[in-house]
Amino acid sequence: MNRSAIGFAGLTHLGIVSAAAAAARGFPVVAFDIDPTRVAALAAGELPIVEPGLPQLLRLHRERLSFTAERADLRACAVVYVATDVPVDETGVSDLQPVRDLVERVASSLAAEAALVILSQVPPGFTRGLGRPPAHTFYQVETLIFGRAVERALEPERFIVGCGDPAAALPGALTEYLEAFGCPILRMRYESAELAKISINLCLVASITAANILAELCEHIGADWSEIVPALRLDRRIGPHAYLTPGLGLGGGNLERDLETVCRVADAHGTDAGVVRAWIANSAHRRDWALTQIHERVVARVAEPTLAVLGLAYKENTASTKNSPALALLTALAPFVVHAYDPVVTPAPESHPRLVAARSALEACVGADAVVLMTPWPEFRDLRPDAVAARLRGRAVVDPHGILEGPAFRAAGLDYVTLGYPLPRAAA
Amino acid sequence: MLMHHRPKPENPARVLVLGGSGFLGRAVQAALDEAGIPTVAPPRSELDLTADGASERAAAMLEATDAVLMLAALTPDRGRGLASFMQNLKMAAGVCAAMQTVRPAHVVYVSSDAVYPVDVARITEATCAQPTDLYGMMHLAREVMLQTEVHVPVAVLRPTLVYGADDPHNSYGPNRLRRMARKDRRMSLFGQGEEVRDHILIDDVAALIRLTLCHRSSGTLNLATGRSISYAELAHKVAILFEGPIEIVGTPRQSPVRHRHFDVVALHRAFPAFTFTPLDVGLAKAYREMLEQA
Repeated sequence: MNRSAIGFAGLTHLGIVSAAAAAARGFPVVAFDIDPTRVAALAAGELPIVEPGLPQLLRLHRERLSFTAERADLRACAVVYVATDVPVDETGVSDLQPVRDLVERVASSLAAEAALVILSQVPPGFTRGLGRPPAHTFYQVETLIFGRAVERALEPERFIVGCGDPAAALPGALTEYLEAFGCPILRMRYESAELAKISINLCLVASITAANILAELCEHIGADWSEIVPALRLDRRIGPHAYLTPGLGLGGGNLERDLETVCRVADAHGTDAGVVRAWIANSAHRRDWALTQIHERVVARVAEPTLAVLGLAYKENTASTKNSPALALLTALAPFVVHAYDPVVTPAPESHPRLVAARSALEACVGADAVVLMTPWPEFRDLRPDAVAARLRGRAVVDPHGILEGPAFRAAGLDYVTLGYPLPRAAA
Repeated sequence: MLMHHRPKPENPARVLVLGGSGFLGRAVQAALDEAGIPTVAPPRSELDLTADGASERAAAMLEATDAVLMLAALTPDRGRGLASFMQNLKMAAGVCAAMQTVRPAHVVYVSSDAVYPVDVARITEATCAQPTDLYGMMHLAREVMLQTEVHVPVAVLRPTLVYGADDPHNSYGPNRLRRMARKDRRMSLFGQGEEVRDHILIDDVAALIRLTLCHRSSGTLNLATGRSISYAELAHKVAILFEGPIEIVGTPRQSPVRHRHFDVVALHRAFPAFTFTPLDVGLAKAYREMLEQA
């Protein structure tokens, strides 16, 4: 069956994964980026990102993928997605100029009837503000999750498509493409779709924040959050897939960006966004949980402590360190020797004045007064309590995400602490 | 949060201590002396900040390389009313005027956690300062005066409940409880002593002020330990310092229970290697010093 070609412009994380998923669904794909070096690397199979399953997916469907730095090649496409990641500054504010520039660049190369779809993360009002013909311009919500991007791109829960006229049918080629994924397609006006994306993230943050607050209470009152979670998941109003895992605040930048966007839009319209600001404050508070534990269990008790920090990425299965709690932790440990290890991220000397890069998790533990597991990488699950205890100089094991077997570490005589579990008093 | 203008600490050339004769002033001067930092602390007979012409006299004492440590204030025990409020503002206005004449290298203002509302249980530096009395409002106004009128790095430090043997005040806390136990072998609590508070030893406050001076820091920082305990537990800790039984009694509660905790991450970030004196150790020290003074 001859399928229309699908174009993707902007080959950052979102663009690469989306292009690979389109190829996997049997569509010829033109993957365009303005950077010829990046294009050449991708054409040679060299990926600028870490994403589980992506190298295999690209290899498997390579014959349908054409990487190019020539925007004229997009003229062959019936649908072109603008899929570049949107840079966000440290306050969560998006820089939308690169998206606008790319839209302008791509639009001039499109075939007359081609549909242009904005897939990048843009705020309400952006798509209509482009002033493009509504019949050929769309906004589609992306729900990429670092570390699970391939699964999410291949098996989306639904497509949310913002349209100039939601009552009008989508262009045939776009319909054909979206229907190939076999999930519901929800059409709505541009602004609704743009806000839907933010709505999803706000609901997630509400759930995460509730989990973080309650987990902190558990730590103080003798309750165990992991015992409570199954009860919540069986409640139909909460559900089996709810985000109930406590963590070190929000990371990665996307959720924070949407919170900032809501505050900004709410301020402009006089809408009360106080609770959203409280979520932001709680995230900052929980981010420092590990630092508080280190001070209480080590710094207050050991002169010249040495600390082992395992994991630098903001989450597992990614090389991204944006808003990483681990890097935030390092900035607060400047006077101390830190042994750091991450399976993907190379410890950068500029991130800490007394950093020692370790070649393995166990090597990082050698001679340390405490080990702190800041990223829940799967390989850390293999750490055995006796092996850790034998290498540590001290006893403290700070495992916020609970990836180690807590009871076994406690049984080995280690001062093991995790989020949502009663905190033992620090040894005097 | 504090920002260090000298990431690597260095002793300031000299510290002009305003309010050096008080409980905190004496402790800070001792800490600075021990660190080899020169200080000058004019007594009230030489510089009365409530008197007319104080700004000119202060300016004459000030050198451009000085750090100014502003501790002088009429504390609540000397009046909580409007007169004290206005006098305190007058003192700060005079100091600002002096520093506009001779601009120092650094200013450290010791404020108070009274700038925070009494009904907020968890305090950080981001907590909205919203005083509920004139004493808290006075400190907040003085913070803003110094931060806007003096164009040099200004550090605002907001200590919570400070304790130590030399404290002349008798506010509800370790000092009053210790004195009650000594005098009557009995301590009385508000209600059953349910409220939790954070108590910081005077030595730790002095050490943190010294660090702030040496880093030439600017910004705002709460001075608290991050560990709050109830007055009932505090009374027990004080009682066991004494030989023989000390009676601890509750009284009918007059006001609702209000707790106060401090999140001290900003302090950990500002001074990562600083460690607090554990409360048990600090209480024992204050007790020993009380006996030595007897």
